[in-house]
Amino acid sequence: MIADLTPEQLKARYEPKPAKVAAIQRQLHAAQFTPPGTRLIGGGYDSLVRLWDITAEEPVEVATSDSHQGWVQGLALHPTEQLAYTADSFGRLQCLGYADDKLELKWQMDDAHDGWIRSLAINKDASTLVSVGRDKTVRNWNPADGTLRSTRSVEGADLYQCAFHPDGKRFASGDAHGSVKLWSVDQLAALGECDASELFSVVRLQDVGGVHTLLFSLDGKQLYVGGTRPKNGGNVQGEPLLLVFDLETKQLVETIELGPASDVYVQHIQEHVDGFLIAATSGNPNQGKLHLLRRGDKEPFSTTTNLSNCHHISIHSSGDRLAITTTSPGSNGNGRPLKDGNYVGNHSRVQLLAFPQPEADSE
Amino acid sequence: MSQNKRTITRALLAIIGLMLASPLCAEKPLHKQIDQLIAAGTDHGFARPADDATFLRRVYLDLVGDIPSSTEARSFLESKDRNKRAALVDTLLADPRYGRNMAERVHLMLMERRGANEHWSKFLEQSFLENKPWDKLVQSILDPSTNEEVTNGSNFFLTKRLEKYGQNPTDFPGLAADIGRMFLGVDLKCAQCHDHLFIDDYKQADFQGMYAFALNTFVRSDTDFPAIGERVMKAPLEYQSVFGGDPQETGPRVFRGQEVEVATFEKGEELEPKADPDSKAPGVPKFSPLRILAQQLPTDQNRFFARNCANRLWYLMLGHGIIYPLDMDHSGNPPSHPELLDLLADQLISHQFDIQWLLREIALTETYQRGGLLPKDAAPLQPAEYRTFKQKGLSAEQLCWSMLRATGELQRVSDDEDDATGLAAVRAKFMAAYANPPREAELEFSPAVRAALFLLNDETIVQWTTAREGNLAEKLTGMTDNSAVAEELYLAVFSRFPTTDESATVSEHLEQSETRDVAVSQLLWALLASAEFATNH
Amino acid sequence: MLCTPHEHQLSRRRLLGYGAAGTLGLGGLGGLVQPSFAKQLKKDQKQVLFIWIDGGMSQLESWDPKPSSQFGGPFRTIPTSIPGIHVSELMPKTSQLMHMLAVDRGVHTQDNSHSAGVPRINRGDPKDRGVIYPYFGSAVAKLIGPGDSGLPPYVWVKPGSGGFKFTDAGFLGPQYGALAIGEGQAPPNLLRHPSVTVAHDDVRNGLRELADERFARNRLALARDAQKFVFDTARTLMRRRELFDDPDPKDVARYGDTPLGRDMLIGRKMLEAGVTFVKVNSYGWDTHGDNFNGHASLMPRFDQAFSAVMKDLDERSMLDNVLVIAMSEFGRTPRINGHVGRDHWPEAWSIAMAGRGIKRGIVIGKTNDLGTFVDSEEHDIGHFFHTWFHALGINAGETEYDNNGQPLPIAHDDCGPITELLA
Repeated sequence: MIADLTPEQLKARYEPKPAKVAAIQRQLHAAQFTPPGTRLIGGGYDSLVRLWDITAEEPVEVATSDSHQGWVQGLALHPTEQLAYTADSFGRLQCLGYADDKLELKWQMDDAHDGWIRSLAINKDASTLVSVGRDKTVRNWNPADGTLRSTRSVEGADLYQCAFHPDGKRFASGDAHGSVKLWSVDQLAALGECDASELFSVVRLQDVGGVHTLLFSLDGKQLYVGGTRPKNGGNVQGEPLLLVFDLETKQLVETIELGPASDVYVQHIQEHVDGFLIAATSGNPNQGKLHLLRRGDKEPFSTTTNLSNCHHISIHSSGDRLAITTTSPGSNGNGRPLKDGNYVGNHSRVQLLAFPQPEADSE
Repeated sequence: MSQNKRTITRALLAIIGLMLASPLCAEKPLHKQIDQLIAAGTDHGFARPADDATFLRRVYLDLVGDIPSSTEARSFLESKDRNKRAALVDTLLADPRYGRNMAERVHLMLMERRGANEHWSKFLEQSFLENKPWDKLVQSILDPSTNEEVTNGSNFFLTKRLEKYGQNPTDFPGLAADIGRMFLGVDLKCAQCHDHLFIDDYKQADFQGMYAFALNTFVRSDTDFPAIGERVMKAPLEYQSVFGGDPQETGPRVFRGQEVEVATFEKGEELEPKADPDSKAPGVPKFSPLRILAQQLPTDQNRFFARNCANRLWYLMLGHGIIYPLDMDHSGNPPSHPELLDLLADQLISHQFDIQWLLREIALTETYQRGGLLPKDAAPLQPAEYRTFKQKGLSAEQLCWSMLRATGELQRVSDDEDDATGLAAVRAKFMAAYANPPREAELEFSPAVRAALFLLNDETIVQWTTAREGNLAEKLTGMTDNSAVAEELYLAVFSRFPTTDESATVSEHLEQSETRDVAVSQLLWALLASAEFATNH
Repeated sequence: MLCTPHEHQLSRRRLLGYGAAGTLGLGGLGGLVQPSFAKQLKKDQKQVLFIWIDGGMSQLESWDPKPSSQFGGPFRTIPTSIPGIHVSELMPKTSQLMHMLAVDRGVHTQDNSHSAGVPRINRGDPKDRGVIYPYFGSAVAKLIGPGDSGLPPYVWVKPGSGGFKFTDAGFLGPQYGALAIGEGQAPPNLLRHPSVTVAHDDVRNGLRELADERFARNRLALARDAQKFVFDTARTLMRRRELFDDPDPKDVARYGDTPLGRDMLIGRKMLEAGVTFVKVNSYGWDTHGDNFNGHASLMPRFDQAFSAVMKDLDERSMLDNVLVIAMSEFGRTPRINGHVGRDHWPEAWSIAMAGRGIKRGIVIGKTNDLGTFVDSEEHDIGHFFHTWFHALGINAGETEYDNNGQPLPIAHDDCGPITELLA
């Protein structure tokens, strides 16, 4: 059992090693393994949704879809069928089929939100798709055809994140001011609140921080909320914080500081079935860390550095691989020299990491 | 006087000067030589000598940073002693307030309102009380050794400049430039990246040589008084002009001095004593540029050092430098009176940089004792000619002491640090109202609107000018003879007798007013807020 | 600190030992331009509202958005009251006031750092003549003067410390510095002490002035003049202390209860009181990290305060007198860095202006489709100084400062006014 292992043993067992890199031309928000695990799908800053075949030595882009505008940030994958749900910052929500290495538009909702749709989540039985956005609404959609079932306006600030409870009947939303609210799928009834306002501060004229990542534990008993404890605005700095809430009491049970103020955000968190968390922290250009943290521990047992601006984690369905979306190093600088007369933008790299093969012993 | 005549006069004086300097000749006192050279510096007429009252207040402010009490003023003005002025100078030099005043004035000059430190203040005050010579004083400031309790804190000049402010990195170049400005009278700041663009005398090599003393310094964290440490200097400093040219290198070099070769040691052998992990004392490099600086800069061999000392002490008394600005000693900015500056520098050297001795000589000059009124000769006044005494400002510290004394509040104000009306709190108010922001030198009389608002509305000033037990306002309110009131008022505040008109104004005002105490406070306030009080004239 | 070649710290004249700034007291009065010209200027009420958005507002999230492009970011655009012109969705209130504004999207300046860029922009990027040039506010304070308000000609409304900030004035001398109002607080000791009645204050100041008059007899006038100046200014400020009263909650609601909202409101009051040059500062715009969330909260607060003051000035018919300028020290990079931020970009950005002498309802200048570089005629800050002086009735090509005998141009020698912006 993972609970019995020492940190050194955990590290030896689980510390991931770099496998391949898929270098993408434009900046991605997230690249996700498809459930079968042979493809990556992702959306980014250039309005495109892309599909890559990652079976060969070199990942190959096999399809793109250009039916979005602005940033494609919202991404959720149907747990079993070859369907992806994507949402953009202009308010459009779509369903794309990615079978046969094609991206086929299944349905599309313009003005699904007024403006930026930040996050999508789909439950285990694919009966409900939820979305949250800058328009401060939470919406319940039928994933089959994109009909809007219900909308709830939320008091507070821009909504940044949403995540489903494993039971598929409730979900959480997190906003720019560190307020986390719990909802039932049914009627979008409010079920309570968790106070993650430590992740937020007003600095001069600016709202800084907010809920950057939101995840229910696999056993459904706890809620993880990640962000930063803001030190300043402008060029945001602050300690990356992971707050753990007990779902029954809604109380904060643990605060985990995952690095110094120069590490800035907990960008994304996922839980591995074996019982440990994987957290990507990054902020300042050119740096980023991947921490593996056993549930209940305060210190990570494994930290991989040099994952420049890692901000999204996708765990392969087999549990043996990770796809980490990062941003090209050397991405910043005032002014910018031209390259061959061209002004060069930044790009994303999806770093594929593999867990070590387990020993052939019983666990 | 025509150009030729002036040249001849100067030549004659040079000859006289030589004769006087020769041990064969009975030497004229320095203060007389000073006056001769000042007289020779202009064709135009001088203002009349200052009257006793003007001299009295002026020399009190300059030497002890305070004004005389009304009793002291009256006694001085009524004295028939023909030697009273010289006697007064000696009395003031021996007054304990001399040490405090010089500490405050030199602190202001050297630190330019960057901040205060009790160890530094104590070091300065003690140094001036025992009349430490200027070269030894500067040596203590630059030397990194900290074994003498009496000099602990002397490094504040260096350590404060290593503090970061705003978004800026540690200003090592600024520290190097300020050592040159304050102790040599040369501002090499604009020669960091290239030879100075306008001043031919200041080369990039000059700056870099000075920079080599500064750039390995750090503030020690193991002492509770400001102390400077040095990292090991392993190699000469490399530099290059931004305008091209070959790369250069230099070891530490005092401006116009000899370059010091960088001594290198085996790794692990550079420090003696080594760093002490228990006390956290850092190691002391065997090759210590600062120790070398402390030995080489403040010496009688260094002409710039001697000139700068003379120039700055002259400025403290006259309000203007023989070289002005004070940190611009170069051939394109010659002294207004070259022989005078050389004379003062030479005399300082032969008197081992005795500060009190030079201040005394200056105080005895006609130049220093010149009146502040306009001379009959209406030619436009140039401060560098000293035809009239320059109107100088008072520092926040001088204003605070003077107002405390003038209003009779000095005995009331407590030493309790926590008392909101105590001395520390009051001084802080005066600093807020009158002191410049950090890094802005206070060189000329520049009144500020915030100071006016302070005088108009501050609680402290209102209290001081309101009759209460023991203060001047109460005393004056209780006096029945209005002309006696006028006399006491003017003696206490302006250190002089009132004129007939002034006395009449006081009497009329008191007679016309319904409430005597309000009338008194109005008169008192008006004088405290006047230009006459605010200036050293 | 490295020597910054374009900003050498000492006047050549001072270096060579002539006339130390502060000859006998007042800190370098500097000569007036032709005296008759100055008198003429004082007749009309000319004012400036200079909104300084410190840190670099992103032109791509404000005046010159490139929606759904490689560098465009997530936000949409909205139409404005100028047909065919769109701005970022983050400034809806301002979009409805575009018909009052003139925006130049073709700004290309030289400096991409704050420490050098802020002073350089504020001084109009003058050629290096060995002097410290005044900031725009001090220049206007000098060239136009205080008018009849009795208030200082240059008031700076800002977060942080207040007081008398004379470093802006450069070689013009401290009296052309700014009276800074920090955190909306009156300068210390502004309120008349409760025990001092107006009558009492008048009497004692009368006695003071009499004493000073007597003192000045047969002396150089400078000390008395300086003392008189500071007391007159102080007492005038005291008479206008209602400018520092708590604001009307309705106004606060309109401008936004934020540092910028409150300061913009004070700025309007200062203009109403007749102050010549009012600078309102907003800090915190340097979004190297989290630029989009940052601007998502910054822009609406600017939008509210800016549109409120524009509406108020318009309603009070003050836009005929007041030149309004809103700008930063540079724009932000099209390229989005790993911190999801934008860095400094002086190559292509925007400046907005309105009011006295400025055309209304136009957008000039153009950047390319990616927003990386200016596609049309480029304008540097020198051009803007010429333009703004022109709007204020000053011909920058002919007018000069007199710095102790050294003539100095008031705007960059090689630039001229941008005629398309002028009414």
